[in-house]
Amino acid sequence: MEEVVGKIWDKWLTRQVSTDFPDSQIKLETIQSQLQIFYRSLGGDKTKTFEACEPRHVKIHRSTIQKIAGSHHNFHLSWQNESSVRLPPYIALFPEPSLNEFLYFWLVALTAFMPKMQHWLRDNQQATASILAKYPGLKKQYQQLVNAYLLTRAKPETLALLTQQNEQDIQRALKGEKLISKIAPTSLQPFPIALWLYPAPFENSASPEPCEHNNAKRKATNPNTDIKELKQRKKAQYVDEKKSTDGLLMFQAEALSTWTEQIDLDRSQSDEQEDDVDEIAKDMDIINLSRQRKAGAAGIRFNLDLPAEENDDLCLGDSISLPEWHYKKNQLIANVCNLQTMIADEIKPVELSANQQKLAQEVRQLLSMLALSNRPKKGQLTGSEIDLDAWINHYTQPVKDSNKQNFYLDNQHKYRDVSCLLLADLSLSTECYVNNEQKIIDSIREALIIFSEALHSLADPFAIYGFSSIRSNHVRYHILKNFNMRYDRYVRGRIARIEPGFYTRMGAAIRQSSQILSQQPSKDKILLLLSDGKPNDLDRYEGRYGIEDTRQAILEAKKQGLSPFCVTIDKKGNDYLPYLFGQHGFAIVRDATQLAKVLPKIYANLTLNR
Amino acid sequence: MSTLFLESTVLNNIFYQAQDDEIDMFHFARSNNLALLLKGPTGCGKTRFVEHVAQKINQPLYTISCHDDLSAADLIGRHLIDNNGTYWQDGPMTKAVREGGVYYLDEIIEARKDTTVLLHSLTDHRRELYIERTGEVIRAHKDFMLIISYNPSYQSLLKGLKPSTRQRFVSLSFDYPSLENEIDIITAETGIAQQQAQQLVALATDLRRLSDIDVKAAASTRLLIYAAKMIQSGCPINKAYQYCIIEPLSDEPETIKALKRVINAYC
Repeated sequence: MEEVVGKIWDKWLTRQVSTDFPDSQIKLETIQSQLQIFYRSLGGDKTKTFEACEPRHVKIHRSTIQKIAGSHHNFHLSWQNESSVRLPPYIALFPEPSLNEFLYFWLVALTAFMPKMQHWLRDNQQATASILAKYPGLKKQYQQLVNAYLLTRAKPETLALLTQQNEQDIQRALKGEKLISKIAPTSLQPFPIALWLYPAPFENSASPEPCEHNNAKRKATNPNTDIKELKQRKKAQYVDEKKSTDGLLMFQAEALSTWTEQIDLDRSQSDEQEDDVDEIAKDMDIINLSRQRKAGAAGIRFNLDLPAEENDDLCLGDSISLPEWHYKKNQLIANVCNLQTMIADEIKPVELSANQQKLAQEVRQLLSMLALSNRPKKGQLTGSEIDLDAWINHYTQPVKDSNKQNFYLDNQHKYRDVSCLLLADLSLSTECYVNNEQKIIDSIREALIIFSEALHSLADPFAIYGFSSIRSNHVRYHILKNFNMRYDRYVRGRIARIEPGFYTRMGAAIRQSSQILSQQPSKDKILLLLSDGKPNDLDRYEGRYGIEDTRQAILEAKKQGLSPFCVTIDKKGNDYLPYLFGQHGFAIVRDATQLAKVLPKIYANLTLNR
Repeated sequence: MSTLFLESTVLNNIFYQAQDDEIDMFHFARSNNLALLLKGPTGCGKTRFVEHVAQKINQPLYTISCHDDLSAADLIGRHLIDNNGTYWQDGPMTKAVREGGVYYLDEIIEARKDTTVLLHSLTDHRRELYIERTGEVIRAHKDFMLIISYNPSYQSLLKGLKPSTRQRFVSLSFDYPSLENEIDIITAETGIAQQQAQQLVALATDLRRLSDIDVKAAASTRLLIYAAKMIQSGCPINKAYQYCIIEPLSDEPETIKALKRVINAYC
């Protein structure tokens, strides 16, 4: 009973103090893709990701009821750092949804114009001015936004004397009537300004001590707690999370007992855990700061043991010995890898979900639009139309061969002569989350199913294999569909069953795939590699060795007359893929959730008979 | 088939704004009887450049837009039939090789592979065209010049110029003109106000940042000129932007929505 009453009370109270308009709320996730395009077209950094920001504590003047309700403590303040743009997860500030939406676009414009913030007040005002100067169309909308926004802020007259002046200044600055470069220091901070960007919660430790005005700004925006942390700075370094492609700790597990090792410490959420962090920090020599807030999401896996045999896929035949390229010796060393072909047994048939059906339909429409359909073939013995050229050629020959009566155009003839082998990377790194709900592996599963639908509708022969590896002696090569299998519910079942695990020994998997694909009779053979990062394995395959071996495997594939192409979701792919696949031999899909949509398009582009 | 009876285009006062030293390079290549390869994105002025230089040197221009059904016979010629029996009809290429002139193969990658092989003997020291059907060997006229173009951004595994073909050409890279040049081009082409042209180019610069990521190709100068023409004839500015620039760039509803925001930022 108490609980129920408590809940009702809480609901009522929250509604009383809430200044939001839930009915006109705009969520970041619904317009994120638009925002990203808008951001890039305004000159924003193409590599930055968009994420929702965590609420930040701001000490402001609160009314009694707000204090009772415990609200207006934390605010979603927009900020950015070198790798990401952080925006509020939702905006419900105004009764009109259009204004809430525009506020998102406005914040994005600011981030594009203010890549690095030197001075919180001045930079925001200057960026505002330069945006309005460059984009006259935004002026009217901005004015509407400011007018509506000022209504939501407290009237300066109602505030205490000192804060009154500050509030007046800020409001005039927002209207563009006055350029302010400082605000009077007060015990309480000014009410957060939703139209402006805020500094990143933590400066990069590599940069020098914040200079004078930076300090002032920090006090104005961040509570003292943050500064305390900075003062207590140890030798801090940011871990480049992009380098580690999987969720595994890059050190030996037995060393965990010493504190001089790496600990993932999530500083953007550390407000509450502050004491613990201080304690831990005192005990460590190096604190590794996580730039990725979901550091824990990738998880730590110690269990490298293979799955129990009854849960594992069925091994088919003996393992196959494959060579590997040793770049230092500059030669191909025979019988280095053992590749085990496997297939999932006891699979359940899987039907397309409603969403997948819709996607598949869209993709099929797209493919038919691209005119990948059949074309007439000239000079046939039978056909629906007469091939005049062939007849004239025949007629003009001095000696006519009555056996060659091939004067017809055949519309039924299949013009395409392409077969494709898709090789999917199923290493453990695909277990990372793309967003709150989806893992990379989910995107891959869906992409494989939609891709199969697309190729099935094109009637191109295709095969799908997945691979992972644990050192050279165990490269796992899963058959999801080979060239002889019919595409059906069981293939989908097998795709639905794929699980991430282990590492990425690309070379061996590519060599085996080349071998299979080269036996196809079609004229054009495409080896499509779907990957999420660099080649790597537990042994020396990490780094240069892996890259060189993969490159060699691809060169071998090309020599066999195959066309290798890589589709990756690794945003850093530009660093190494040109070396592996050539400048035009790969495509980077920035948003992994879009993979299912994009993959058939890429394939269509590759094989288009324009 | 339509290309078969193509007459050379008569060109008058073709406007072309030089981007770099491409016109000089053309003259050097021509004086040495070398063939030219132009590469660059769509709508950046490759065809206009060819028209311009052909007019300058006062030579007829034969333009063939290549497509995937274009066969060697379409270029060289074929036997036809009339009341008196069969006779040989020269194709546009044979005609140009015999009589001289600028012969321009647009988007060469689109053509069948057998057509590119035809070019080999024409583009090296031999400068000869072999006609298999009649057994004739034609030595190229001294004023014959071959120009081909292609758009390297079309990513297709099955299409591409073979190195052996590429290496027979003097190659010029084209790109969208610089800011000032593009403003001049738009005003010269359409007579639109300088300020409006500036805005068009600023919009295009914004949109070109998206090429290869969000949209397949960048907004071309040609699109800008179309938009400027529409505006000049009284079309509302934001409509012209939307229908001449945004819609041709993308089919994705999300992308179009975002790009409309960019337009709204301008007007």
